[in-house]
Amino acid sequence: MIEENVSGYQLPRFEYRRPADFDQTAQRYPVVIVGGGLAGLTLAADLSTRGIAFVLLDEDNTVGVKGASSRGIVYAQKSLEIFDRLGIYDKIAEKGVAWSVGKSLVGEKDIIYEFDAAKDSQSCQPPFLNIQQFYIEWFLVDRINELNVGEIRWMNRVKDVIADETHTLLEVETPDGSYWLEAEWLVDCSGLASGVREKLGLETFPEKGTERWCISDIRFKKEMPLERWTWVESPVNDGRAVWQHPMADGVWRIDFQMKLDSDVEYISRPDVCEERVKKLLGNDEPFELVWVGPWASRTHLLDDFRHHRVLFAGDSAHVFPPLGARGGNSGIQDADNLGWKLALVLRGLASESLLQSYSQERRPAAIHNTDLATRSVRFLSPQSDGQRVLRNAVIALAKNCEFAQTMINTGRLSTAFSYQGSDLSMDEGESIPNFSILLTNGQQQKLVDYAVDGQLIAISTSREALNQLANNALFKVLHIGQTDPDSIVDTDGKIAETLGVKDGSIVILRPDLHVLARFKQMDSAALNEIKRRINYVEQGELQ
Amino acid sequence: MKTSSQLEKPDQFYDELAHAHQDLDRQASEALNARLVFILANQIGNQKVLSECIALAARVPESAA
Repeated sequence: MIEENVSGYQLPRFEYRRPADFDQTAQRYPVVIVGGGLAGLTLAADLSTRGIAFVLLDEDNTVGVKGASSRGIVYAQKSLEIFDRLGIYDKIAEKGVAWSVGKSLVGEKDIIYEFDAAKDSQSCQPPFLNIQQFYIEWFLVDRINELNVGEIRWMNRVKDVIADETHTLLEVETPDGSYWLEAEWLVDCSGLASGVREKLGLETFPEKGTERWCISDIRFKKEMPLERWTWVESPVNDGRAVWQHPMADGVWRIDFQMKLDSDVEYISRPDVCEERVKKLLGNDEPFELVWVGPWASRTHLLDDFRHHRVLFAGDSAHVFPPLGARGGNSGIQDADNLGWKLALVLRGLASESLLQSYSQERRPAAIHNTDLATRSVRFLSPQSDGQRVLRNAVIALAKNCEFAQTMINTGRLSTAFSYQGSDLSMDEGESIPNFSILLTNGQQQKLVDYAVDGQLIAISTSREALNQLANNALFKVLHIGQTDPDSIVDTDGKIAETLGVKDGSIVILRPDLHVLARFKQMDSAALNEIKRRINYVEQGELQ
Repeated sequence: MKTSSQLEKPDQFYDELAHAHQDLDRQASEALNARLVFILANQIGNQKVLSECIALAARVPESAA
C-alpha cells in the first residue's frame, strides 16, 4: 500500500494482485462480497472475526470514491458499537469527533431546539461520532488484512452474474483480463447503481424528488462548537436550511438546502459554493474547499433483499433521503444483521432458511428509515401554502414553548431498529447498548466482547436457569450476581434492568446484540423454541 | 375522540376565539389558527385521538351551503 495526497488528505492506494483463479477452473467460495464500501467492508470484517472465509471484489484501488469525497460522516451509536466489536473503534475515536449536542436555529443565532443525546446513554460509545467515511473504510481494510481470513481483490470489477438456485456464477474483469468464480453466497454491496442488481433485472422502484442539496467539506481554523448545528431558516442561504457538522482533520461538513429543482451543476460549482461559505464564516475567514458536490433526492427499495443465493445490503438494496445519517449507518447495520447468520449457515449449525430473516428484518428497517427521512423533508420543504403556515407556527411557538421545540425536525438521527416482526423474533428485538461490565474477579469487559465468536448470549440473575445451557455450544452464558468469579457485578441493578431480566428470568441476545427472546424460566420447551427460531440443525454424532 | 360537547362554556369559547380574529387579515388569521391547533393538540397529547381529530376535520365539508 502506498499513500497519496488527495485534497490535503493522505489516502491509501492498494495493490492489485493477479488472482490465482486465472490458472484453474472456476473456484467456489463460501462468500463473495461485491463492493468495498461501508456495508461490504463491515461484512468482510464481521466474517473475518467469525472465521468465515470470503472474497471481496472492489472495482477501485482505494477507499472512498472520487478522491476526497467524504460521503457519510455521522456514525450512530449502534454502528460505533459494531466497530467496537470488530476491533476498530479505538482508531475511529482517536481520529473522529464524538458529539452528543444538537441545536436547531432560525435567523443568525436564535436557538429554537436543543438536545443532548448523551443524557440517557448507557453505551461505551458516544451517541454520535463524525468522521470522513474513507477513514472508516480504511480502518476496516486494515483490520480485514490483519485478521487474514478472507481476501480483498482490488481492481476486480463484476462483469456478469448468473444466479442459480444453489450458487452464483460471476465473471470478473481485472487488468489481466476476465475470470470466472462461483459463490455459495453472494452479497451485493455495490451501491445505488449496483451492476449486480441490474444484471439480475431486479426492480427497485426508484423515485426522484425535487429536493436539492449542496454538500461541501470545508477546512478552516475558526473555532466553532463541536456540535451539530442546523438552521431551519438561515439568512446566509436565502432563508433555507443549513447543516453544520465538525469532522476529522479540522474539516467541516456544511450542507445547504437549495431551491427545488435547482440545476445541480450550477449549485455545486466551486465559485458558487464559496460565496455561500463566505456568508456563513464571514468575509475575513480564510478557508479551503476540500470537496463539493450536489445531492438530488432519490429513493429506491428492493422488494426482497434476497434473490436465490444473492443477498443485497446497503444502498444496493435501499436508498433514503439524506436526512438523519441513515444511508451509511443502515448499510453497516445490514452487515451486522447478516454476518452472524451467514456464519451459522456456513458452519452447518443453521439451515439456510435462517437467512429469510435478513430481509424480514432489514427491509422494515429501510422502510422505517425512509419514513423518518421523509418526515424531515416535509418539515424542511413545505409543499403547499398551508404546510408553510403550519411550519411557521411551529417555529414561532418554539421560541417559548418546549412542546413545539420537539417538532422542529431538521433530521432525526438514526437509532438502532427493533426487529419485532421477523420469523426469528419472539416479540422482542431491540438493540442492547454496549455497556461496560465488571466481573466479580475484578476483570473489566464490555458487552461486545461476548459477541465476537457468534454464539447466542444467555444472561440471567439465576445460575440455575443458566446451568441448563452451560454445556451447549450454541450459547455463551453470563451470570449477574456475586457467587462466582465470572459473575457480573450489578449492585444497583442497572444491568438487569437494561436487559429486562428479573426474578430468575433469562434474556437471549443474538450476536448482533439484539434481543432474541426473554423467558420467565429456562426449560426444554424454551430451548427448543430458540432452536426452531434460528433454524438450528441438530449435529450428528460425526464431527 | 369525543364529539359530544366537552366545552364548559361553548358560547364563551367561540366568542373569545372570534374576538382573537377580529382585526386580523386572512394571513394573520391562518397563522393564529395554526398556532392554536398546535397548542390545543399538546393539551390532548394522545396520538390516536389526534389522528381521529385530523381525520374528522378532513372529512367535514368546507361549507354546509
